[in-house]
Amino acid sequence: MTRYLAALERELDLLGGLGWAPRVRIETIFFGGGTPSLLDPEPLAAILVRLRDRFAVAPDAETTVECNPESVTRAKLEAYRAAGVNRLSLGVQSLDDAILPRLGRLHDQRGARLAFEASRDAGFSNVSVDLMYGLPGLDLEGWSRTVDAVLDWQPEHLSAYGLTLDAGSLWGAAGVGGLPPEETVVAQYWRLTRAAAERGFEHYEISNYARPGFRSRHNQIYWRAAEYLAAGPGACGFVGRVRYANARATPRYCQTLEEGRLPVDTFEEVTPRQRLAERLILGLRTADGVPAAWLDARLLGDAPLRRTIAAWREERLLADAGDRVRLSAAGFLVSDALFVDLL
Amino acid sequence: MALARIRNFSIVAHIDHGKSTLADRLLALTGTMDAKKAVDQVLDSMDLERERGITIKAHTVRLLYRARDGHEYTLNLIDTPGHVDFSYEVSRALAACEGAILIIDAAQGIEAQTLANFYLASDANLTIVPVINKIDLPAANVEGTREAITAVLELDGSEALAISAKHGTGVPEVLEAIVTRIPPPAGDPHGSLKALVFDSFYDSYQGVVVYVRLTDGHVRVGMRILLMSNGRAYDVQQVGVFSPDMRPVEELSAGQVGYIIAGIKRVADAKVGETITEAARPTAEPFPGYRDAKPMVFAGLYPIEDTDYEALRDALEKLRLNDPAFTYEPETSLALGYGFRCGFLGTLHMEIVQERLEREFDLSLIVTAPSVRYRILTTAGEVLDLENPSKMPTPDRIAEMKEPYVTSSVFVPTEFMTVIYKLAQEKRGEHKSLEYHGKRVHIRFDFPLAEIVVDFYDKLKSISKGYASFDYEFADFRPSDLVKLDILLNGEPVDALSIIVHRDKAYEKGKALVERLRAVIPRQLFEVAIQAAIGSRVIARETVKAMGKNVTAKCYGGDITRKRKLLERQKEGKRRMKQVGRVEVPQEAFLAVLKS
Repeated sequence: MTRYLAALERELDLLGGLGWAPRVRIETIFFGGGTPSLLDPEPLAAILVRLRDRFAVAPDAETTVECNPESVTRAKLEAYRAAGVNRLSLGVQSLDDAILPRLGRLHDQRGARLAFEASRDAGFSNVSVDLMYGLPGLDLEGWSRTVDAVLDWQPEHLSAYGLTLDAGSLWGAAGVGGLPPEETVVAQYWRLTRAAAERGFEHYEISNYARPGFRSRHNQIYWRAAEYLAAGPGACGFVGRVRYANARATPRYCQTLEEGRLPVDTFEEVTPRQRLAERLILGLRTADGVPAAWLDARLLGDAPLRRTIAAWREERLLADAGDRVRLSAAGFLVSDALFVDLL
Repeated sequence: MALARIRNFSIVAHIDHGKSTLADRLLALTGTMDAKKAVDQVLDSMDLERERGITIKAHTVRLLYRARDGHEYTLNLIDTPGHVDFSYEVSRALAACEGAILIIDAAQGIEAQTLANFYLASDANLTIVPVINKIDLPAANVEGTREAITAVLELDGSEALAISAKHGTGVPEVLEAIVTRIPPPAGDPHGSLKALVFDSFYDSYQGVVVYVRLTDGHVRVGMRILLMSNGRAYDVQQVGVFSPDMRPVEELSAGQVGYIIAGIKRVADAKVGETITEAARPTAEPFPGYRDAKPMVFAGLYPIEDTDYEALRDALEKLRLNDPAFTYEPETSLALGYGFRCGFLGTLHMEIVQERLEREFDLSLIVTAPSVRYRILTTAGEVLDLENPSKMPTPDRIAEMKEPYVTSSVFVPTEFMTVIYKLAQEKRGEHKSLEYHGKRVHIRFDFPLAEIVVDFYDKLKSISKGYASFDYEFADFRPSDLVKLDILLNGEPVDALSIIVHRDKAYEKGKALVERLRAVIPRQLFEVAIQAAIGSRVIARETVKAMGKNVTAKCYGGDITRKRKLLERQKEGKRRMKQVGRVEVPQEAFLAVLKS
């Protein structure tokens, strides 16, 4: 851990020493991936201090830590808050005690509730809860219970991800039984969408819901295809026209930094055409959509895509809103079918 | 060169009986080139041929062999195409020979193509040297194979050479038998030039290179030659032999095999079977048996992107330079736009052309279900040749409709007879004869060509665990009760999916077809109804449900590259879809039609 933290500070130093660093103004900070809440408050505070030393960090920067319910206490969260953290993202996933162990989660529904209460007790007024649907063994009733209970906690923000089986994941490779049929997964999506709307949440991105004023500023940077820096193993950044990713293996990550080099493992320069496609694909993930002019630029000379867009309008999956174009909640649900064509 | 020192021969065999292996051995033994190099360079020089393990075009190579009588002989090995689609080309290559080595696998025995090749060689009056190969196999039955040769082929089985081409056992005796058993070419070296074209290819630098066998006279640089079928005359620029690469020589004379280059621009101007003679002193009679290769199977070829139409036309034109057997004519389809109706010798030929267009010209194509050519007598008294099912006249305009039939041979171990008869019945086969040969039977059926063009051979192989062999040739047109089966997507007929079927099989076929289409048409934003109809009567229906969800919920902590790559991979799969009305139809749907 000491070696890793030293490497991370070294990385911030190296990034801060780059020619363009003085022009960077940091608006949001996000501790995510793995279980950041295992980190003690002191090293977390040290990282934030180092970051403020090297970069111009906005005084009101949205600063989020992803937390697993079993790893937080009121005292720890208070210390986080004292260090400058102002937003928490709680990885609750489910309130079904039969399902949580299958997800490899160490908490139960009671632990999840206590963690949420601890965040309030520690003074956090911007808390997000992460949920998952489409899980093996999860029927519509089970999902409704989870949704209603979490909404009763009155969080500011909700993220709900449908289970996606990647070839690389354990379930994707080995297969998993008990997956609900597609109709059920679709019903689960609509159940949350409706319940969240009834409680005053805005469905502002495919998988994200927020009370007014509490959209995740950090995630919106991704969706606007704007720039962000990355630090830590496997982290991904976007600077200028270059998307890059750090080495994933922690020992190699540390070693590279100990040798005085940035641990960038892969990078690619995004072409103007790719950049336009990314802006469309990411922007259409959000309820704000994209400027109609961007879509028009993509449609130039592409008759098949124009037919596709017309079909999407006809099916009311895509709609115009002033000078912007956006997907409907039904459009979100099948959005990849359009994104493929927008590439 | 004395005719007595020349032998022209080919090697014929059922597939996998060891033709290439023996050819390699002969090349190595005569020092023409080492066996490995031979395989790579000579015998199967087209990529596609190597991949499919069959010879598509004829090849030829000259071997110099010092025989046991102390004389050196020139042995011209003329390799023949190895697939039933190309039987005319085989017959012309055999016509350039005096003898043929007929290889029979010692473990497999006589197969359908053994017999077909035997008949072709006999028809060409060749001396046939039977060779029993693979005697090293544990399952080899040399004596049984000798008996079969005597019984089935009516050759002297005791004279068959027993060899293992793989190990080289007995191969020297094959060379010796070529010299002692196969007669030297007869012909008049001083007569008028008479040369048979048995293959040709287009070379972008030299024009058409024509493979010839001379029976009379000679040919040399500067001679003005005449192509007898079309009356065109050319000045010879180069003559040469294959040893195995092209090597120019001063002249070719009676009995010899080699090539001529004479500024011919298109392969179609020097077709297989053509007779070449001297313009100033023409021979009296051309070779018999010349005919234009007739396409048997037709399909529409359409670019997936409309903008590729010109590119497709150019590619077809270029391919045809080298392959006059395939034909193309522009046609339009309501569903697919502008494309071409192409004619092929068979479905293998069709697949080869399609693969070459996609590989060599980088085109993405839709190929419609292959159709045969139907002959229609209209009520107005006209005769129509119909190659595109969607163009079939309405029933009230048809007085009579005929479809092409083939005669065929099936060889199969007796235990599979029942399943073979069942398959034949499904495919509207008419049983003609049955002969027992030990544990195997030889069954002759007549089939409608349409029933065997697509998956018949695969089915035959699978139900007989690979033991059945099959060969066929075109017979005639016979009256038949045929109907047009249309496919509708969301109520709109898709002309490119129409097929012609026998009335008795229409329901079953329509049902299988819509099921198959449901499996290959991906879910869309809206429900897709797939219907099969005869006229206005719908006989089968399936539904592709609307897409329920297709979303990547999470954007992986800013790893946009990963998300984009996932989508790019999906897009690759979508590239081969054609938009028909509002429905996206994948390429395979158009061929899946006949595999249902």
